[in-house]
Amino acid sequence: MAAWFTKNRTTLAIGLAVLVAAYVFYYAKHDIAPSMYGAAWGYAIPLVLAALVGVIGERSGVVNIGIEGQMLLAAFAGFFGAAYSGSMIVGILAGVGTGLIAGGFLALTTVRWRMDQIIAGVVLNIIATGITSFYLKSGEILPGVIPNVDVPYLSEIPLLGETFFGGRSAIALVAIAAAVIVHLALFHTRWGLRTRAAGEYPSAADTAGINVERLRIVNVTIAGSLAGLAGLYLSMDASASFERGITAGRGFLALAIMIMGAWRPLRALVMALFFGFINAVASQLQQTGGFNVPPQLTGTLPYVATLIVLAVAAGRVRGPAAAGQPYVKKDQ
Amino acid sequence: MKSRYLVAVPAALALALAGCGGSTGTSGGSTDTGSAAAGAPTDDSKCADAAVLCIGLVTDTGKVDDKSFNQSAHEGAKAAAEQLKGYYKYIETQDAKDYAANMQQFTNKKYDVVVTVGFLMTDATAAAAKASPDTKFIGVDQGYDATKVTEKNITGLVFPEDQAGYGAGYLAGLMTKTNQLGQVLGLEIPPVQKYAKGFEAGAKAANPSVKVSTVYHPAGDNAFNDPVWGAGEARKMLAQKADIIFGAGGNTGNGALQEVAKNSGAGKSVFCIGVDTDQWDTVPAAQPCLITSAEKLISKGVTDTITTASKGAFEGLQTLGQAGLSDYHDFDATIPADVKTKVADIVKQMEAGTLKTGVTL
Repeated sequence: MAAWFTKNRTTLAIGLAVLVAAYVFYYAKHDIAPSMYGAAWGYAIPLVLAALVGVIGERSGVVNIGIEGQMLLAAFAGFFGAAYSGSMIVGILAGVGTGLIAGGFLALTTVRWRMDQIIAGVVLNIIATGITSFYLKSGEILPGVIPNVDVPYLSEIPLLGETFFGGRSAIALVAIAAAVIVHLALFHTRWGLRTRAAGEYPSAADTAGINVERLRIVNVTIAGSLAGLAGLYLSMDASASFERGITAGRGFLALAIMIMGAWRPLRALVMALFFGFINAVASQLQQTGGFNVPPQLTGTLPYVATLIVLAVAAGRVRGPAAAGQPYVKKDQ
Repeated sequence: MKSRYLVAVPAALALALAGCGGSTGTSGGSTDTGSAAAGAPTDDSKCADAAVLCIGLVTDTGKVDDKSFNQSAHEGAKAAAEQLKGYYKYIETQDAKDYAANMQQFTNKKYDVVVTVGFLMTDATAAAAKASPDTKFIGVDQGYDATKVTEKNITGLVFPEDQAGYGAGYLAGLMTKTNQLGQVLGLEIPPVQKYAKGFEAGAKAANPSVKVSTVYHPAGDNAFNDPVWGAGEARKMLAQKADIIFGAGGNTGNGALQEVAKNSGAGKSVFCIGVDTDQWDTVPAAQPCLITSAEKLISKGVTDTITTASKGAFEGLQTLGQAGLSDYHDFDATIPADVKTKVADIVKQMEAGTLKTGVTL
């Protein structure tokens, strides 16, 4: 335990400082701060889920550029599944299922048929944009809403509790849980060790008896369900409509967040929150006025912040060595 | 690995851009569809003939079913073609770079009237009018600089958005209990700014102690097509005690309306106001909170201006359309009678020209 504290002292110190600053702001500006934290988390939810898709993919050796497309397809299937069946449950299942299918498509094309991973991802995005635009019907409405869940006791904690455990739907809770679970699984289970081996040094993993191809296919496919969840969050929870290009680049943003988070699930969660918070600050600056800053300029704030973080903190990180390369057994 | 990102990131960005703003992501070309009324020409082969009226419409990077201004203009042009027994065809622009090429498809075939939709096509339309003096151009939401555009075959159809916004703001100012109003807006361009400033001026005129929070969507490409962002902003404003949200910005604004509609106080303590068309019909999901819409009569304006064009010269470089408030629908009983009287009075005064909104850009 003591060793763990020593090893992570920088992270812990920074984390503690951020937390204290967050609470100071929370009590000092109580009229706006809670809603800004809420907005930050609302913005971060789909990014966390989508970034996890990227993390799982790249950790197992598959670069997933197609997250945007997976989300778009799932948002579409979820919304129209619910609208036509009259049941939100059917919509959610359709969305998650579509995410899985899109993940499976990516897995088969890139791992089994060894198609270039970037091209496969781009193809997925183009197909998604085309299909969802072509079959789009306007004027449909959802049969209901995904109910909000207030976790008892937890949701009453100031700031942390009310932001993360109250006033949001179950998808938000799943996003937190998924980040924690993926973290534990990646770094503390046999599956995680094998996955990381397949992403770093697949031939060594193969020598150790791991079926790299099957592992990659399964991982990328399963991760698709998270992309599905991120997509249906957009069309069924955060808004209640499907529009062309509703993902608005969030799938690509998630890739940036994955890199900012150094391919680690919990750091990606923190980075998504950071990005969401900068967004909330940008809109608050516009809203309260005072400073007469044009919205185009405040709108660049999140991206400027991203650049700075990438340059300063994330400059040293390195992705999984074998990500992007199809694994071909040498004896074949 | 590194070099893959070098390829991937630009490719991904290009795709992100293509995916936004309503285009379908197919890079080249644009869809076009023609239609004809009974007794009217069935194709555009005879458009050069003076007796045959051909009307072409070029959308902004959006579709003719966008529940907003492209759709309204499209319906107006279609109605004009039916009334005047003309031929009508539209092109949906996929990419802002195609504006000129899309207009040229019509001018090459000697169309009589070309309607271009949206502020962003202002310069392209003026250039096309100069190049094709025999075709009449109607630019919806486009204001031209009289010192630069001297051609007589062009008119910009503009609407007093500030008046519609003022009326909506006046209503909101009288209705608010918390003295906090919010505006969730699309791209910061003149038509949107006029709505927003009109709304604020109207709210303050009705209720001097009211505070109006305003946010424009920061990104240029999908500013009118980001309902998730709009919903997030609306949620934040509601949490900061705003009780009436004005959503003005295509699908982005619609996202804000829907978020307010989902609030537990929707229709009782919190309300929303739509924009451009009567959104009671176009965004049914917003009905729980939608008290009215700040409407501009684009369809009627387009039909009327095409009729003018088919008969002779335009009124001038700018043609002024109409704007106002749409019906209260189910909230007719909720809104107090004295509020309705006051708002109706204000709207009348603006139409008569006795009340100025004081909005300048």
